[in-house]
Amino acid sequence: MDWTKQIGRYIVVMLLQVLLFDQLQLWGVCHPYVYVLCLLMLPITLPHSAEMLIGAAVGLVMDVFCNSLGVHMASCILLMFMRPYLIGAIVNDKDRLNEQISVHTIGLGAMIQYVAILVVIHHLAVFTLAAWSWQHMGFVLIETLVSSLFTVLVIIGYNVLKYK
Amino acid sequence: MQTLIKILLRYSNFLVFIALEVAAFLLIVFNSAYPRSSVLSTANDAIAWQHEQVSEIRGYFNLRSQNEQLAAENVALRNQISSMDSAQFRQVIHYTGAKAVQMTTDRLHNYLTINRGSIDGIIRGQGVRNEEGVVGIVRTVGRNYSVVMPIINTHTNLSCRFAKNDYAGTLKWDGKDSRFAELADVAAHMVVNPGDTIVTSGLSPVFPEGIPVGIVENSTLKEGDSYHTIRVRLSTNFKRLKYVEVVQNAHQMELEELTHGLD
Repeated sequence: MDWTKQIGRYIVVMLLQVLLFDQLQLWGVCHPYVYVLCLLMLPITLPHSAEMLIGAAVGLVMDVFCNSLGVHMASCILLMFMRPYLIGAIVNDKDRLNEQISVHTIGLGAMIQYVAILVVIHHLAVFTLAAWSWQHMGFVLIETLVSSLFTVLVIIGYNVLKYK
Repeated sequence: MQTLIKILLRYSNFLVFIALEVAAFLLIVFNSAYPRSSVLSTANDAIAWQHEQVSEIRGYFNLRSQNEQLAAENVALRNQISSMDSAQFRQVIHYTGAKAVQMTTDRLHNYLTINRGSIDGIIRGQGVRNEEGVVGIVRTVGRNYSVVMPIINTHTNLSCRFAKNDYAGTLKWDGKDSRFAELADVAAHMVVNPGDTIVTSGLSPVFPEGIPVGIVENSTLKEGDSYHTIRVRLSTNFKRLKYVEVVQNAHQMELEELTHGLD
């Protein structure tokens, strides 16, 4: 596994997140967290607990930018906890993957399923924890729907362009 | 013992998951109750610096309206000076000018980062205003930057009063529109008219009394309600917030020590 490539991608994606995606003001409900791309695209051969630790670190950094200590951390840990189970459920022949999960290795349909499910789980967790009350649940659901759609489109777009 | 180790190994991933989540939730709970960490927030020098660069670049795109705003403020200040009497020079309120480095307006918990910190004498709990009206309260103080919790944050409560009769209420934000907030705790016997001015109450040392908060947009009183539901149009335009002033009350520390002893 190529760590320089992973870290390089992380830095570029975080810069885009902070400089571009965090600045979006689309109807007040679109707050996409495209930075999860780095977590979703991690090689699948990592030990499960290492994956969760990476998730915790990536989430914590994002929290510092958002003044929301713990919120992104908890959501990313959840995402990384679910990831291997979801890959197991979607992909039949895991050996064929050759550590990389992408449009190229599992096909567009499966990739959309994989990205959409994990992004919705992550975004729902972030917005629910940030609201910290059931009073705003309606807003949180709309926010999750719109933002997830945006994030999924960007991540799938990246995949299609990179691995077509 | 061996069986215990076997069980732990068998569920080690799940245990790691639980341990990490517990850590994250402790962070969430402690940080929202009393945010101490200026390093793990946008008051962090490096992060605020980055936001400042972005805001510098964005600032060039609305120089014209900023200039108009400053010119209008100059006129207002000149008028104020000319009408000042010597008694007002003994005031204990001192304002420190600051620039908004970063601000969100479309979240439930919006924050504002300003380019003044502990080296400029900023302390947690100080009020922040601009020439239009109330902005918020300082929440986390870093060395060079601070994070402000604006009134458009669902956690914020601000004590206000009607300018016309000193009747007090609490301003809360519902998380929807950055232009409006709600005034609670106003009893049904009060007559509330659209257009009534709401100002700070001066009951706490955070803000001096009489800083504009907003104007009553409409109020409803259903049969049997004991409190009005009042919608207030906020004086401050958070969407184009750029320059703010931190209220430094020379007596704030003393006042807080006095009231602290009463609890």
